[in-house]
Amino acid sequence: MSQPIKDHICEEQLFERLYKKHSKNLHDFLYYKFGDHLNPSDKVQEAFIKLWQNCGKVSPDKAKSFLFTTANNLMLNAVAHRKVVLKYEKLPQKKSTNETPEFVLQEKEYHQKLQKALSKLTEAQRVAFLMNRVEGKKFKEIAALLDISTKAVEKRIYGALKKLREDIDEL
Amino acid sequence: MTREELIQKWLDHSLNSEEQKAFEQLEDYKDLMQLNNALHSFKSPEFSVGKNYKALQPNLKKKTTQTWYKPLLKVAAILAICFSVYYYTTTLDSSFNTEIASQTTIDLPDTSEVILNANSNLVFNENHWNDKREVKLDGEAFFKVAKGKKFDVITDNGVVSVLGTQFNVKQRDGYFEVICYEGLVGVKTKDNYTELRPGNGIKIIDGKLFAKEKESTAQPAWLRSESNFTNTPLKHVIKELENYYNIKVVIDKADANRLYTGSFSHKNLDLALQSVTIPLNLSYSKSGTSIVLKRE
Repeated sequence: MSQPIKDHICEEQLFERLYKKHSKNLHDFLYYKFGDHLNPSDKVQEAFIKLWQNCGKVSPDKAKSFLFTTANNLMLNAVAHRKVVLKYEKLPQKKSTNETPEFVLQEKEYHQKLQKALSKLTEAQRVAFLMNRVEGKKFKEIAALLDISTKAVEKRIYGALKKLREDIDEL
Repeated sequence: MTREELIQKWLDHSLNSEEQKAFEQLEDYKDLMQLNNALHSFKSPEFSVGKNYKALQPNLKKKTTQTWYKPLLKVAAILAICFSVYYYTTTLDSSFNTEIASQTTIDLPDTSEVILNANSNLVFNENHWNDKREVKLDGEAFFKVAKGKKFDVITDNGVVSVLGTQFNVKQRDGYFEVICYEGLVGVKTKDNYTELRPGNGIKIIDGKLFAKEKESTAQPAWLRSESNFTNTPLKHVIKELENYYNIKVVIDKADANRLYTGSFSHKNLDLALQSVTIPLNLSYSKSGTSIVLKRE
């Protein structure tokens, strides 16, 4: 659907469309980059409020960059480069398990290793990698989100995978 | 296809079925799958777009009402308050009152001097003085006006305009008198305009114009604590008397319009009452502050 070209987004319908399109991705981006403890969904809301306040100055095609940059800066202000620890979320455990206790323990250990290895990745690698693996996004989609080339995304993700495996083996 | 290419394709979710099979044959397929599955436990928490947008909306509403002119309105309001305070204070009139039996000397901004007689009120605006030399008078006052632009004394009965001069203006209920002592005075009433040379006066009683005799003194008599009258109705004389003494005079069986010529002192009530009553063949009786005048 072709949209009429507008130089601002001070229109609630347009704004809502932008929200629906970007808020989830923005949230995931913040989460994978900074972790859970700084409340990424709050930052998403803040970034959108900032976008609304500046709606006269931001054209629709610039809105995504504005949101990502703003949210990222908000996060950086809050984080002051604190060590990132991704929350290890327990998968719903099956009540009755036919797995041996040994296997369960191994599984647990593996998760802990993975968590450590993930936090060792660079932010850029982690964001791209988790968006790809967990959110199931293709290289092209991630490239568009992060405003980088597909090749760069490919490099980051492959690099991340390699580094993860090495780190897990080492631990 | 190399192992690396296969993994790349797997990563990009773009393996076709043939490649998928090849991928599954890789020695580290199991490892990758384990990693992949484990990664899903790091999925970002649920972010409900709809719910979050609803939560955001109230914040947006607030912003929409806050349009560009809001800060301007604030500035405008402050300016308006400042301006009105400034306007109010600068246009505030200075007002002077005298009590019964008292006098006060007022210096006007241009060194003009006003001596305000008893029971009188003078109002002028200091800040507009340079544009407009204007005082409002209710009562009696003697003016020594500094040389300069037009100087107006506004009373209920007329306007007295002058250029550097000394003159007396007396305006009491129904009684209007202007005497010029120096310079030139213009008196504008409802009906006519008169110019007074030094020593001349004008007197209007109850709307009737009386030519006034030549005044020989250099100052009004009241500055010497005396009141002078020439052919003045008794009621006005009595009103005047009440301005200097705290008394209430009642005329009983006597003609209030009888004309009186003479003077009375402001210092001694009995002497003053005698000065008024004897020439008119009246007698008076005093009880407290109340005086009754009777025919003898």
